[in-house]
Amino acid sequence: MSTEANRVGGIWRFLLACWKANFASALEYRLSFFLLAGMMLLNNLIWVFFWQLFFSRFPVVQGWELRDVMILWALSAGGFGWASVLFGNYGRIANIVSSGQLDVYLSQPKPVLLHVLASRMSVTAAGDFLFGWLIFAWVGDHTIRGFLLFVAGLLLTGLLFMGLMIVVGCIAFWYGNSEGIAGQVFNSFITLTTYPSDIFRGVARTLLFTVVPAGFISYLPIGLIRSIDPAFLIAAVSVTFGLMAAGCTLFALGLRRYASGNAITVRQ
Amino acid sequence: MMSFRGRMARYAASGSKGIAVGRIAWRQQLAYKTDLLLRASFLLLILFVFEQLWSAAYGGDTSKVIGGFTLKQIVWYLVFTEALTLAVPPLAARIEEEVKNGEIAVRLTRPMSYVGYHYASYMAEAAFRFFVHLAVGGLIAWALVGAPAFGAGWADLLLLSAGALSILFLLHAIVALSAFWVEETSGMSFVLNKLQFTVGGMLLPLDLMPEWLQRICAWLPFQAALYFPARAGVQAHSADVLRDLAIQIGWLIALAAIVTWIYRRGVGKLHVNGG
Repeated sequence: MSTEANRVGGIWRFLLACWKANFASALEYRLSFFLLAGMMLLNNLIWVFFWQLFFSRFPVVQGWELRDVMILWALSAGGFGWASVLFGNYGRIANIVSSGQLDVYLSQPKPVLLHVLASRMSVTAAGDFLFGWLIFAWVGDHTIRGFLLFVAGLLLTGLLFMGLMIVVGCIAFWYGNSEGIAGQVFNSFITLTTYPSDIFRGVARTLLFTVVPAGFISYLPIGLIRSIDPAFLIAAVSVTFGLMAAGCTLFALGLRRYASGNAITVRQ
Repeated sequence: MMSFRGRMARYAASGSKGIAVGRIAWRQQLAYKTDLLLRASFLLLILFVFEQLWSAAYGGDTSKVIGGFTLKQIVWYLVFTEALTLAVPPLAARIEEEVKNGEIAVRLTRPMSYVGYHYASYMAEAAFRFFVHLAVGGLIAWALVGAPAFGAGWADLLLLSAGALSILFLLHAIVALSAFWVEETSGMSFVLNKLQFTVGGMLLPLDLMPEWLQRICAWLPFQAALYFPARAGVQAHSADVLRDLAIQIGWLIALAAIVTWIYRRGVGKLHVNGG
């Protein structure tokens, strides 16, 4: 028992050290850090402006109001934000695998996937995370229940982003250079998480809750924040943890197949 | 003092150089098929999402008219604005790179105007991308909302798109040439893109915006770059087209004057070491 506790404690200390190093490295270029994060914040605010214009003309669309879409943006950007700040490499696994950059992680006595994920911090994503909380402060439910539901939404969103991209990134173990397809999936997924799920009908809606599970994020403002829909919530949690588990398994299987050339790589 | 004939020969030489640069840029585009395919798939996604959004907003009623637009018109409007937006090559990033790595020194020694070179290259690339995106977007929109029976609208779209792409070039050139002073232009490019996105009417026609915002947009060049050609494409009114054309020409003159002024000042203070 104490060995297990030591192992978990060790992983936490390792993660904290990674995050501290990433943060210090980002702050080395302080002006650039604030500019990039600020630009992302501005980008998201411009989208909110667009939605304000849209809802000023169409106040209710398929039961969705402006506040719901703002919360959707807060959850999508905020969830993407924390995942990309703490585990910034999750969208770059295909690139890391196909370019042989895994070597440097394999040579160190740490959990490989966790080490890969936590080795990078996305600076722009800090702006996304901040944006999420800004919108919550603006239109969110400022009760303890509202706060907890928002945090749960952020957690689910970030984990779903990571789970999906780990699974897609692992394709590179079998098919080599798959950065293009991983990038496409990533961008499409992000795009689809920022539109109300209820505007989609028929096959598109089915796809949104199966093949491209963006619906589990884009329905959160209705199925979690506005009122808890138990069936949706169970499905969302199952899909999120299912994808994470599938990602970890695929990565472990992929590592057995992994081979690299003689490229010399260093951690930056 | 150069004679009239001499001056005409000079213009003809500049024109043929511009056409040659354009031809090379066009061929380069054909070489990057994957890039083209990725942008086309992005267009497919965006158009599909917006068709769903607008269908929901219109309650699925294809005959309903909101702000002068039917559902079909608004989806085709989006095809036109997206085709124009995605047509624009990353001019600021290119000029910034040339200034940073000193390649500009080689360009300046060539017997061709620096801005003219970039304009020729930009227009060839933009025209190629515009027609490809128009074709891809058109196919998608046709499948989603039906055939584009816009009559004279097509001619108006093409007429105003030439001016629109030139205005977009000049706007991006203003940002790009600021690289002579600031070296880092991505922030300004970002702001410019967002202005196109909002006050340019890229996703939402200006007619659907609040009155106060429409009044502000009327005084900015961005509507002439996206809204004018796209609206003319779906609503053919010859009187409006002539007015739009006049406004475009006004902005072209004003922006060209600003670009010329910035270029002259910037190139005067340029220092390139080594190379």
